[in-house]
Amino acid sequence: MNIETGRRTFLRQGLSGLGLVALNSLLSREVQAAGTTGVVNPLHHPAKAKRVIFLYQAGGPSHLETFDDKPKLRAMHGKPMPESLTKGQQIAQLQGRPLTCFGPQHEFQKFGKSEQDMCKLFPHIGGVADDICIVRSMWTEQINHDPAHTLMNTGSIIAGRPSMGSWIVYGLGAETESLPGYVVLMSSGKGGQMQPIAARQWSAGILPSKYQGVKFNSVGDPVLHIQRPPGMSADLQKRSIDAVNALNRLGHKNLNDPEILTRVSQYEMAFRMQSSVPDLVDMSKESQKTLDLYGAKPGDGSFASNCLLARRLAERGVRFIQLYHRDWDHHSEVKSNVVIKARETDRATAALITDLKDRGMLNDTLVVWGGEFGRTPMSQGGNGRDHHIKGFTYLLAGGGIKPGISYGSTDDLGYAAQENPVAVPDFHATMLHLLGVDHKRLTVKYQGLDVRLTGIAGNVVQDIIA
Amino acid sequence: MAGLRLDIRGEALKQTRSGILPIVPGDPDKSAIVQRVFAKDAKIMPPQFAHKELTEAQKNTIRKWVAEGAEYEGHWAYQPIRRPPVPQLSGANVRNPIDAFIQERLAREGLKPSAEADKRTLLRRVTFDLTGLPPTPEEMDAFLKDTSPDAYDKVVDRLLASPAYGEQRAMYWLDAVRYGDSAGFHGDNLWPAWPYRDYVLRAFRDNMPFDRFTREQLAGDLLPGATLDQKVASAYNRLNRASAEGGLQPKEYLAKYGADRVRTTTTVWLAATMGCAECHDHKFDPYASKDFYAFKAFFADIRETGLVPDRGTRAWGSKLLLATDEQKAQLDGLDEKLNSLRKALTAKVEARAEDRWRWEERILESHSKGELAWTYQHPVAATAEHGAKLTIYNEEPLESNFYLNGSLASEKKRGDGVIVAGGPNPDNETYTVKFRPGAGTWTALGIDVYQDESLPGNRMARGADRFALTEVDAEIENPGQKPDKLQFVLATSAQFGELPENGAMAAIDGNRKTGWSVNFVEARNPFIALRLSSKLQTSAGSVITVNLHHDSDLRRATIGRFRLALSSAGFSAPEGGQSAAKVRAKKPDPEMSTLAVATDLGIPPEVLKALQTDEQDRSEDENKLVAEFYAWSSRDLQDDVARIARLELTRNQFDAAIPRVLGTERIHPRLTRVLARGNFLDESGAVVHPSIPAVFGKLDTGDRDATRLDLANWIVSKDNPLTARVFVNRQWRLFFGTGLSKVMEDLGSQGEWPVHPELIDWLAAEFMEPSWKPEGAHAWDVKHLLRTVVTSHTYRQSSAPAADTKDPDNRLLSRQNRFRIEAESVHDTALLVSGLLKERFGGPSVRPYEPEGYLLAMNFPKRDYSESRGDDLYRRALYTEWQRTFLHPTLLTLDAPTREECTVNRSGSNTPLQALVLLNDPIFVEAARAFGQKILKEGGPKFDDRLDYAFRRALLRSPEKEERKILTELYKRASTEYKASPVEAKKLLSVGESAVPPDLDASEVAAMTTVARAILNMHEVITRN
Repeated sequence: MNIETGRRTFLRQGLSGLGLVALNSLLSREVQAAGTTGVVNPLHHPAKAKRVIFLYQAGGPSHLETFDDKPKLRAMHGKPMPESLTKGQQIAQLQGRPLTCFGPQHEFQKFGKSEQDMCKLFPHIGGVADDICIVRSMWTEQINHDPAHTLMNTGSIIAGRPSMGSWIVYGLGAETESLPGYVVLMSSGKGGQMQPIAARQWSAGILPSKYQGVKFNSVGDPVLHIQRPPGMSADLQKRSIDAVNALNRLGHKNLNDPEILTRVSQYEMAFRMQSSVPDLVDMSKESQKTLDLYGAKPGDGSFASNCLLARRLAERGVRFIQLYHRDWDHHSEVKSNVVIKARETDRATAALITDLKDRGMLNDTLVVWGGEFGRTPMSQGGNGRDHHIKGFTYLLAGGGIKPGISYGSTDDLGYAAQENPVAVPDFHATMLHLLGVDHKRLTVKYQGLDVRLTGIAGNVVQDIIA
Repeated sequence: MAGLRLDIRGEALKQTRSGILPIVPGDPDKSAIVQRVFAKDAKIMPPQFAHKELTEAQKNTIRKWVAEGAEYEGHWAYQPIRRPPVPQLSGANVRNPIDAFIQERLAREGLKPSAEADKRTLLRRVTFDLTGLPPTPEEMDAFLKDTSPDAYDKVVDRLLASPAYGEQRAMYWLDAVRYGDSAGFHGDNLWPAWPYRDYVLRAFRDNMPFDRFTREQLAGDLLPGATLDQKVASAYNRLNRASAEGGLQPKEYLAKYGADRVRTTTTVWLAATMGCAECHDHKFDPYASKDFYAFKAFFADIRETGLVPDRGTRAWGSKLLLATDEQKAQLDGLDEKLNSLRKALTAKVEARAEDRWRWEERILESHSKGELAWTYQHPVAATAEHGAKLTIYNEEPLESNFYLNGSLASEKKRGDGVIVAGGPNPDNETYTVKFRPGAGTWTALGIDVYQDESLPGNRMARGADRFALTEVDAEIENPGQKPDKLQFVLATSAQFGELPENGAMAAIDGNRKTGWSVNFVEARNPFIALRLSSKLQTSAGSVITVNLHHDSDLRRATIGRFRLALSSAGFSAPEGGQSAAKVRAKKPDPEMSTLAVATDLGIPPEVLKALQTDEQDRSEDENKLVAEFYAWSSRDLQDDVARIARLELTRNQFDAAIPRVLGTERIHPRLTRVLARGNFLDESGAVVHPSIPAVFGKLDTGDRDATRLDLANWIVSKDNPLTARVFVNRQWRLFFGTGLSKVMEDLGSQGEWPVHPELIDWLAAEFMEPSWKPEGAHAWDVKHLLRTVVTSHTYRQSSAPAADTKDPDNRLLSRQNRFRIEAESVHDTALLVSGLLKERFGGPSVRPYEPEGYLLAMNFPKRDYSESRGDDLYRRALYTEWQRTFLHPTLLTLDAPTREECTVNRSGSNTPLQALVLLNDPIFVEAARAFGQKILKEGGPKFDDRLDYAFRRALLRSPEKEERKILTELYKRASTEYKASPVEAKKLLSVGESAVPPDLDASEVAAMTTVARAILNMHEVITRN
């Protein structure tokens, strides 16, 4: 029953008898999609990646204490920042303050055969350096957290545009019918200001809401209302759902409304989720070795546990998995705070890459590591760094990315992307390209425009594609 | 070709700079556009990379059109609205001109209208559409019984006159104007907007003419002799998202707010795509970048800042106080009384210069000796009344995580008297702490609230967004004596992050509902000092018992970690705050008592600084500070000080109870420039003055700049081709599922050519100036418009699908359509059917149940949700507190918009998450339970009768045989299960706070709840057909 019958019924009846909702669904290929295909069918070109795991480092990690060493900045530490660089540029909390060079606070070293230059605080990521492409020339347009997140996620600062995960599920469909196609996880650590993250960041915006990211909760039910009510046995819950579906099928017989069949199939999927979600978050079958690899303690809601959960989601066919890790907003004490953040993220990030590779999944899983912007090469309050949009670093691995390379660079002081700048829409275009989608052709009509993730910009960064 | 414009004929006929002739009328072969669309090489248009190929037929149409002279006809929506003649049609199915337009077209296409829907369907449909609620069984009976020819019209009149009609219309309007109860950016804190929402509710309920409604919202503040209501309406101009994020660039945000207003205003009233012109001239519609900025300039007179403060007395900038004259007089009276008391105290203090001088020396000496420091007490017992578990950390090490200098720091050290609340987390709680102070003389009790990252309520409370200490009482028991109650005369806090109505005195005011509360400062440790009425002597055997009551209506506003302290000096100031946290954190020896290093405490730092300054060098402010601190710490003045403090609290509570709304205040307009590509840093753009898009002409305002009022007048002028068309088209969608022109947010060239252009125009004309059955109607009459729509045959038709149709999308409306009811209606229907719904028109927003931890990703402040109490849990969903960055998940899942941005077209999706909500969300489980109880109480003794009753309430029909069978089986199964395990039954019954009638058997209620839940989950219940 369900989808197949729904589709057959639909084909037999042509469009007659469709309610508006069903029509909307039809237009968005909802009926056809049903966990298999999206609007880009066939793909625009062969895909290199099937799914994305985005390790979103929220708050704005300092590129200068992670993956972008600047010896010249070290040398100029404490000296005024050359005005030629900063004049007329956007600035956040340092508005009206003297701008002083602030050298990288930790040592860097070469990692891997590829001799990638990384901060010593990230030895595990260093250990997979040969699998990683470091993009040191990212730049963005928004200097405050909320709009910068919105731009990074939706390609626009206007609220209500679909987020990248929604675009991707809309375009490609999902590989699973038991879990949502777009899942969001969130963890918080220490050592920063816990900046808020609005639900807008995973919204489907103007796309149908079935493409919206489903945020898994770290307290209570992992998915809202996934638990049956207290006092309701599993058997009675199943019988209740069966009764609802039987009643609805009767209704369909009487009313001939295909939307009813969609509803029946959604109840069936809801029922499946009630077992698939607990199964997903049940880590008891993971070996101690795996837990140690990630540094994960099941149930602690940490970034490490979420990385492991991300792998499990990827295995089960979830298309776009986004892990937010908060607290990278280091206006003060950047030196000690980055130590904390490195402790929280280094091992698990590397473990995820290693684990995916061991399972043969890295080649078709794109892993992304980065935040909404970088941090100033100038000091804030003598020991911190302010928000910075002109240059910052992203890590990419797997999914058709060239391994063991660096791409682009900032200037000598780590201020602005200089060589091969990569704008946010370029990143989006490249990601979609790897997934087999031409970013210019994945559009939805809204307000007289063919809205797309990349707005009116975006170029695929061919040089980093294997 | 970037300068090429094909949308304007004059431009398209001109030779381009590169010598190309785009269009030569009558000569397709010479016309570049024809050559290009037929091109076989790379020159083909649209270019290959666009993947938008034209069909041969389309290409030939272009060729033919050029050959025939390339005549341009202006876009339909920009032509003046003229009332078209109504097709001459008659017959039983032609009830009004709408039917004539629709059926004339149907006839042309060889289609026929459907018959009228049955009465049940019809009443259900029109009641849902006009009120968002289903009819009651009684209403259904009355309608079925009424066989008079105007039975339906009477129903329509009844519905249009109901408050629920106002609520339903307001809901859609609030989507469009992006009304929210929170600011929408960053901390997303709650702001006072609901009085505007109530204005909208009343406007629809009372059928305010739409032109007046428009004028009051855009420019109510500018109307001559503006009433309070009109000023409230103008809060429309403040509903854009606003940010309080530190470090934002004010100019950037002013640009954002302005652009938001242009997008919203032009979409709401004009369905124009002007938002696109922020960065570039529009290619399809006649809007240039300059038009965008000139439109923005209308709003440049609104008082605002780029960073909109979200806390404290300056929160949200301009606010309008909605006080009655009586309230104003009362407030003035209180202020006057306060002033005279303060003056009297000042006089007393000034008369005692001599004493003050000695006091200054004394207090500085005491301070340097550390005598002012508080003595922290190590409790011997700590218990909670309602189940929370209190753990005492005296010598035991305690881990804490707190903010210091903007970063989260950790430490683990000896607790030194800290009490940590854990375990069950009841809504209200009273902590009872006992300690033995030892021998001494004491003047005050201190309560030190500890922030910790583990606490969801602004890091201080176990829930909500703050703690509320509603009352503190204490007693002393000396060996062999009866306990003696301690009397507090004065409560003082370090006064940061308090709302004035939650001042320290509220903790000893004898009112168990009001309390001391700190909610808008992060990373501080609040401290309250409670002055004893007289010195307290204790001996070695004395035991002091302190009760901390948390009885606020705000749930779980209970303190998470705290310490108690005593002061032996007469005037130890409250500690706490950042400095105290620093002292604690920087303590060199973790085993050493905090007290040893806390010697800079006991005097507020700013007072200490003043005291340490020579008197002649002190500023006026410093003198004032010292004088105030002198009065505060003089025991013989404490009655005066306490009297003032009590009155201040009364005054502030009175003031806070008066509603406020975001205010639109006119200032001298800021300069508005065209921003090239929307870049706010670029100040080279041309200065623009407020004007309407050039394509619509110019406003005639003589020498003066046009204002928002001029704009509003133009929007609702009869010459405006868009406003009425936009409104009627949007309303049409709500009654048929699709607009006459499908694209709600765009009537421009990229929108859809309407299926019935004449009908849109007729409706628009009729809306502006009623002429069909105009008795009692007025210009811009919304109720008249909707009455005309819902009394048409077209609306009243059956929605049953035809066997075969040439119009698969039913755009020509040979029948009605079916669609899911809106999110709010899904909620309200479940509550109405189950008898839980509490209908009350207007008022502050409410908080229904919400899953725990849903707000975890928020911050500034860190907060947890605190649901309403009593009736407010069961209000219509329209009144739900609209938290824009985290909209209530039940509504969000059912496609309610977050209202961060203007929304004029809700989607109606069908997802597994919706199934989970309807099945498992406590809101719906409770509704099923209440429905089950109602069925048992009112549905008769037999199951069959009960099922009849249930179907009548939920679906207004009887169950069919098959349905009966399915539900009887489910009932039997559930009965068996719950009879076997009454404990499980009780668990199911525990969902929700509404009462379970004590005379009902729990197992029976649980079984019937199971049946009721299945019924409420039926597709039919949430479908309007």
